[in-house]
Amino acid sequence: MNERSDFDELLRSRLEGMSEPAPDVWEGIVKGLDRHRRAVIFRRFSVGVAAAAAGLAIAWLVFRGPQTGEQLQVPVQTAQHVDVTTPGPVTDETPEIAPIAEQVAAFTRNQSVARAEKVDKPSTPATAVPVSDQTGEPVEPKTEPQPSVATEPAANPAETPSVEPNKPVEPQPQLTEDDLPDGFWDGDDTDTRKTHTSQLTIFSNLTAVASENDLIYKASPSHASSQTGKGQATSSVEPLSGSPKFFVPLSAGVQVAVPLTERLLVASGLRYTYLVSQYDMLVNKEKFEGAYNQLHYLGIPLELSYRFVQTYGFGLYASVGGAAEKCVAQRYVYGSNTLREKVGGLQWSAQAGLGAEYWFAQRAGIYFDPSLVYYFDNSQPLSIRTQQPLQARFEVGLRFKL
Amino acid sequence: MYPVCVRYLGREDAKDVLQEGFLTVFEKIGTYKGEGSFEGWMRKIFVNASLMQIRRSDALRHAEDIDETPESGGSLDYGVLEQISSREIMDQVATLPQGLRSVFNLFVLDGYSHAEVGAMLGITEQSSRSQVSRARSLLQEKIKKLYERKK
Repeated sequence: MNERSDFDELLRSRLEGMSEPAPDVWEGIVKGLDRHRRAVIFRRFSVGVAAAAAGLAIAWLVFRGPQTGEQLQVPVQTAQHVDVTTPGPVTDETPEIAPIAEQVAAFTRNQSVARAEKVDKPSTPATAVPVSDQTGEPVEPKTEPQPSVATEPAANPAETPSVEPNKPVEPQPQLTEDDLPDGFWDGDDTDTRKTHTSQLTIFSNLTAVASENDLIYKASPSHASSQTGKGQATSSVEPLSGSPKFFVPLSAGVQVAVPLTERLLVASGLRYTYLVSQYDMLVNKEKFEGAYNQLHYLGIPLELSYRFVQTYGFGLYASVGGAAEKCVAQRYVYGSNTLREKVGGLQWSAQAGLGAEYWFAQRAGIYFDPSLVYYFDNSQPLSIRTQQPLQARFEVGLRFKL
Repeated sequence: MYPVCVRYLGREDAKDVLQEGFLTVFEKIGTYKGEGSFEGWMRKIFVNASLMQIRRSDALRHAEDIDETPESGGSLDYGVLEQISSREIMDQVATLPQGLRSVFNLFVLDGYSHAEVGAMLGITEQSSRSQVSRARSLLQEKIKKLYERKK
């Protein structure tokens, strides 16, 4: 039965186009939205490519392994160079070259300190570690005079370097890390003084949800009304079945890690998390559509991490742990009204993940820590955690060595 | 969208709701999937925002009482509508009592069924039907008077 009268139709036709933009305006808006959608797709693609590149870079670092052989060659080759070019009268007593070699090596270290300091330097002068030019492998020390040197005495002895052949060798001062400029980091993290240092971590993370668009996860209708728990037992708010939406959770916090061994660290700190949900609800028996629920959690995480790769400032580690979080504030926003309610109990969770870190300075680094987190059912208010207990979390942050 | 809000709320409140509606549009623009017209999607947001405002002002509390309002007015020569501007018609709609105006707008001008109107306003389907009828009569009477004044 058509309940609309002619009057209705006439009235509608008169008012329908009033002050509304022409149809082409709406078409323009829709086209603009399409462009925005394409931009979102491109952005997602770019993020995917960047993630793949980062993965490849990490894999390269893992499988390349440490390359200590190159470090050993540096000062020794310098010593050989001096050996060949010294024009002075050299006898078969090659040890006299050592002071020159040491001085040059020390000079080289002063010029480019980074790698030379890490060499297992012999305690006696350079004669102890002759090395093949071609292979870099140690060779037997030669006790015979070098033909190229012994057969070519200096044309002018006065031009020989002012190194006295039989002058006692003075020990060269060993460079330590304290001699390095502030903020200079030599790239080696195997030193126990560094790895056994406590770390302060400042982090922030995003939790991945099965999203239909950038920031919102729409849940299926069946879960909505059953998720209020003990904390909501006296609540005047009741979620209604429908299609709740959950915004991506945001977290930030600080953490202190204490080394148990060279590679094992235990960490704890304080974490703040902000959860926002939107769903239809009954507030004091009155229905409100699309109202917001905001939850603020403070938690104490406890993590154990094992660093299985530490090379050239890069580190890879695995971590397991858990957290206890307390909802410190809950707010409903419906229309222009707000309602605050207390939430009881704790939210417990367990997590495991892999992480990568890069120390860009002696005491400062950045890290990326993807992990899987499982939130136990602890009768907390409806949120993405009750809706989707297993979540992927992507944490990034800064680390400082204390 | 302004006329939509004016129809439901009158000129003053319409401005506030217009702002609120556009904020909602910007906030939820990502949820528009291209299904149905964009105009229709936006119109729904502004209608909802207007109804929320009406709810907040508690104007619908006495909506059921309007059932007791005697049906008045009479038949209107529809040719009269051609002699009156759209703006004048809209102003007349805006002078309807809040409850009647909401029901009339939803059913007649925005095309919702009585069942939908009932669910949206928390009234029975039958109440929606009778209120539309009363609003129609009242509006015809107002338009008739306006026309006679203009003559």
